[in-house]
Amino acid sequence: MTPASGSTVASPPLLDVAAIAKHFGGVTAVSDLSMQVRTGSVAGLMGPNGAGKTTLVNLISGLLPSDSGTIRFAGVEIQRSPAYDIASQGIARTYQNVRLFSGMTVLEQVMAGCYVRRGASLWASFLGLPKARAAYKAVERHARELLERVQLSAQANLLAETLSYGEQRRVEIARALGTSPRLLLLDEPTAGMNVQESNEIGNLVHSLRDGGLTVLMVEHNVRLVKEFCDHVTVMNFGRLLATGTPAECIAHPDVQAAYFGNTADAERIRALR
Amino acid sequence: MELFLEQLINGCAIGSLYAMFGLGFGIVFATLGILNAAHGSYASWAAIAALAAVEQLKLPFIVALPIGVVAGGMLAVLVDQIAFQPLRRRGSEMLGALITSIAFWIILDNLAGTATGQQSLSFPRGSYPGTMFRLGDIPLPAMQVITIAAMLIVTVSLHLLIRHSRFGAAMRAVGWNQTAAALGGVNPRHVVIITAFIAGATSGLAGVLGGITTQNVSFLLGEGLLLKGFAAVVVGGYDDVRGTAIAGVGLGILEVMTSQYLSSGLRDGITYALLLSFLLLRPRGLFGSAGFSRA
Amino acid sequence: MQALGDFWRAYQSTVAFAIVNAFFALSTYAVLSAGILSFATVTYAAMGGFVGARLVLQSGLDPMLLLPAAAGAGALLAYIVALIFLRLESHWMALASLALILITRVVVINVPSVTGGVNGLSLPVKLPLFVLAILLAVAIAVFYRLSVSWFGIASRAVREDPAVASSIGIAPRRIQTIAFVISGAVGGLGGMLLALVLQFLSPDTYFVNIAFTMIAAVVLGGSYHWIGAIIGAAVFTALPVIAQAIVPHFQEVANGIVLLLIMIFLPRGLIDPRAIRLRRAAHGASADAARGAARIVEGKP
Repeated sequence: MTPASGSTVASPPLLDVAAIAKHFGGVTAVSDLSMQVRTGSVAGLMGPNGAGKTTLVNLISGLLPSDSGTIRFAGVEIQRSPAYDIASQGIARTYQNVRLFSGMTVLEQVMAGCYVRRGASLWASFLGLPKARAAYKAVERHARELLERVQLSAQANLLAETLSYGEQRRVEIARALGTSPRLLLLDEPTAGMNVQESNEIGNLVHSLRDGGLTVLMVEHNVRLVKEFCDHVTVMNFGRLLATGTPAECIAHPDVQAAYFGNTADAERIRALR
Repeated sequence: MELFLEQLINGCAIGSLYAMFGLGFGIVFATLGILNAAHGSYASWAAIAALAAVEQLKLPFIVALPIGVVAGGMLAVLVDQIAFQPLRRRGSEMLGALITSIAFWIILDNLAGTATGQQSLSFPRGSYPGTMFRLGDIPLPAMQVITIAAMLIVTVSLHLLIRHSRFGAAMRAVGWNQTAAALGGVNPRHVVIITAFIAGATSGLAGVLGGITTQNVSFLLGEGLLLKGFAAVVVGGYDDVRGTAIAGVGLGILEVMTSQYLSSGLRDGITYALLLSFLLLRPRGLFGSAGFSRA
Repeated sequence: MQALGDFWRAYQSTVAFAIVNAFFALSTYAVLSAGILSFATVTYAAMGGFVGARLVLQSGLDPMLLLPAAAGAGALLAYIVALIFLRLESHWMALASLALILITRVVVINVPSVTGGVNGLSLPVKLPLFVLAILLAVAIAVFYRLSVSWFGIASRAVREDPAVASSIGIAPRRIQTIAFVISGAVGGLGGMLLALVLQFLSPDTYFVNIAFTMIAAVVLGGSYHWIGAIIGAAVFTALPVIAQAIVPHFQEVANGIVLLLIMIFLPRGLIDPRAIRLRRAAHGASADAARGAARIVEGKP
């Protein structure tokens, strides 16, 4: 595996997926997939629609149980753990279609994300003890800091669902950051965005990486992947297609064929006309 | 032995009421996905309508019975169109329909209470068939025969309708997915209205016959049938007509036997204990299909 | 002065019932706010009511001292119910809670040593109205405190989207179990208060009636905020009394009609935080637009 510049080859990967498989009835979503993500890197996950990328993210984050294989996070096996356990161990995620909590303001969404640092027992909250109130205020402060980071401080008291799509995505990222994760899974974070918004997301991801966060990004935008990812894994039909640097993967003939079709097919189509 | 057989037949008769009511309630639950708290009041009002036909209009049983049944059906259509149709258009979930049905339960049951003067009324003797048949040494009131026969006829008819007719297929399609059904050439509005009518009429039939045999025409009649019919639907399997019928009759027999041989205080207990057990352990019931969940 | 005294005496019991109903509504709200529809409040109330009443009769102690026992009994029962019910899918859980109420009545009839069986239980002990009011104020304080705590936010997250809540570290079943216990404590307490207000308990005291009207009250008042539960309970209790003056014999129907109107026109209930926020945002936007327009008129950038 090619390491990000500056890190040593010797350290074990933060995320180690080994021969993971998932079937839905007769449909194989993911099959014999192995990949690794180095600490402190930005990893890309590519592949045509239906390749199984989101399923893989769901398996890693614990939304779905896997059928076979292992997933190791910082050396600990997590493929059988429930999602909330995995979250408190340090993996956070966003969703392909933004899933914010209906009826809650932007600030409240992020405060919900800070659940893991709630800092007070139920009895303390129940009785309204000063310790509980202080903890709540601390959570609010931290949430505001996170909003600052994604540049949404002005919208803190607005209903999250009234924001633009790009802004909602950033709320979701801020919410995910609330869990103080070590690994952030982003599922198509720039879907539906224009060039400027996409670049903003890319810059955000880089600043997060510089702050010590490891990121795994499912991304279709080839330009973004080339510019912001240290390492790429390509999937197709639930299987591993290629892995390496962005340039290597994009130039890979199998990857090209998967996205654009191959020359033999192109000639057959031409012949039909 | 004779006592046992007599109670067995009693149980069948009561169970037939539960079964018939359950069939109506179950149709709405299984095909329209609605838990209708007001369904019992259709039965109460059907009984009240039949009683009024007999007492006020001096009509014979053979006319009063269908009047009650039709009243039940029409009331069901009315409630469906006022209460559930707006929700359907909005795409609401189960809670919304349940609460709205509770609103109608409040309205209809209280109106029924006012209609019967807060009392439990009885059908006057002679207004219904009172012949006493005999099965060997066992007395067999005509009403019991009629009730059991009605249950059998209704069960078979509904089964044929739902499983073996085009309308039945349309019903199931609409229950599954209204838009898809419409795309397939079904008129969902018509299907829903007719389904509601059938459901109300069936429960109405249970109400009239129940009101006569239990000598209890009041809003309590409907409430009692609702709870027992609901149990029959769950225990039998809510998407299988035969299951509901068998469970209803079975529960009736169990209740009568429990009351006779154990204690009358435990009579309802056996039904509700079975209901809870099935909900916890086997929600699809004895004959229901697995993996069928109402969104 | 005499008229005022008469007026107060006449409506004292209405206020007392409204407070008791508020407890039942809060108990229903407690689980609904974590995404669970459950009618089991009635069972907790029966537990608190009969256990509390029996303790008062047996021990002769001041009922105030035994209120915590009623709440505790309800909470314990709710915890057991949670263990069994939280394994079920939400629809089946709602129906199972309905079945639970039905069985409760059967149990009540069949343990006359505790409940007086079919004949009921007489409780010649009273609780002054101001005590009821103070207890409600305490309950309100608790619900307020919980709503501005991590538990409040976590509950809303679990209610809106349990899968996403799980992915930010919230364990839905844990939150829901806590919600059940709160519901049990409040319901049990309400049950004992009802016993003290009615001063007589029968098997029909804690039955389907309460279950249906309480969920209806919560939805009417607004199922997204604890204030909604209290307002809904107040409306449901006061409305028939007011309606009696206008349309006697049909006063109970008024509740059904109001509920129907709310379900058709205001399905999220009278108090809807989301609608309030949307309106606030709209005002903010139009205020911004007005400011912007004013700047253009004045020639400012």
